[in-house]
Amino acid sequence: MIGDYKGEVNNKVLTALMQAYLDVLDYDGLKSILREAELLELKDIRDFNSNKSIDFFSFKKIISAQNCLLFGCYNLLFEIGKKFSFYLFPYGKNFEEIIIELNYLIKTNWNIEILDKSQNYMTNELETITLEIQNCIFCSEVGVPCNFIVGFLVHSLEKSLPSNREITFSGLKDPHDPSHNSFILKLISKKK
Amino acid sequence: MTDAQMKQWTFKILVLGDMAVGKTSLINQYIEHTFLEDYRPTLGVNIISKDIEIEQIGSLIRLIFWDIAGQDKYENCRKAYYEGCSGVLLVYDITRHDTFINVESKWMKDLLNNIRRKCDFLLIGNKVDLKNNRVVTYEEGKSLAEKISAIDFIETSALNGQNVEKAFLRLIHRILKQFGENFEID
Repeated sequence: MIGDYKGEVNNKVLTALMQAYLDVLDYDGLKSILREAELLELKDIRDFNSNKSIDFFSFKKIISAQNCLLFGCYNLLFEIGKKFSFYLFPYGKNFEEIIIELNYLIKTNWNIEILDKSQNYMTNELETITLEIQNCIFCSEVGVPCNFIVGFLVHSLEKSLPSNREITFSGLKDPHDPSHNSFILKLISKKK
Repeated sequence: MTDAQMKQWTFKILVLGDMAVGKTSLINQYIEHTFLEDYRPTLGVNIISKDIEIEQIGSLIRLIFWDIAGQDKYENCRKAYYEGCSGVLLVYDITRHDTFINVESKWMKDLLNNIRRKCDFLLIGNKVDLKNNRVVTYEEGKSLAEKISAIDFIETSALNGQNVEKAFLRLIHRILKQFGENFEID
């Protein structure tokens, strides 16, 4: 890992991420990622103290290990991102609040911001949300697709809407573009 | 040649087969030259990376092995694990005939139904050190490999390391050949 990794990450984020790995990859999959990150000692901790934080460098080691081992696994990264949303905000939350809280829980040089929302003027139903993601920490490596954070955002929006709505997205850059982790994402809500 | 001048490759390799055929042991033998006597079933998937250098073609290769649980309870999630694979090691146990039958009836079927791009696979008959318990002959293995169009058939022993390196290298050789790279295997 090369670069400056200053910041901190609330333990709630770590707990949710570990649970997401367990769900999608099971216990040996979780251990594989932690072993690659040289943080295997975290493998049996299910509930980290949510009043505390870990340093961003350690957190980034886990994400880098995930991205190394899940090379080429676009759908799995998306699925882990969805599960991460499920465990980080298990009781559902307004989408705007989720974005604010995520920026708050992961304090480092990155940002997610809602730029625009459009609604159907007849039904008042949400049609699109446009977000700006700057320096996404989940896909900063060249070649790593942004499917993790997109899975997280899609699921976070989905669960804040009625169950008859489904979310599609557009705006991802080529993962081989060195600046691909800064992008404008459009989430589109449609009736199922 | 410095690392920066070398070509870099990353290949995801699946290791498939029934439970207790020796998938994890084969990977451990290839990566660490070790063998653990205690059997502990894999839960979900065990993912291990290994970097190798092949000087002949000036290449650095990152191999990512997906040692996928053989138990039936993982049947649904297993399919998601196949995405993006470059090659597959299909493993059976020469002392258990059902594991040999399942190569074609279960694992090949599963693989062909769930991979989107062409990938090479090699058939391994493991546990040749248990020759007194052998129930699947070499000829049967060879014949199955031809039937399912495997690139090769190799019998191995994860216990003593026999042919393990050869099997892994043979698959890597074939994958690289698809990209126009060719090297000699000793």
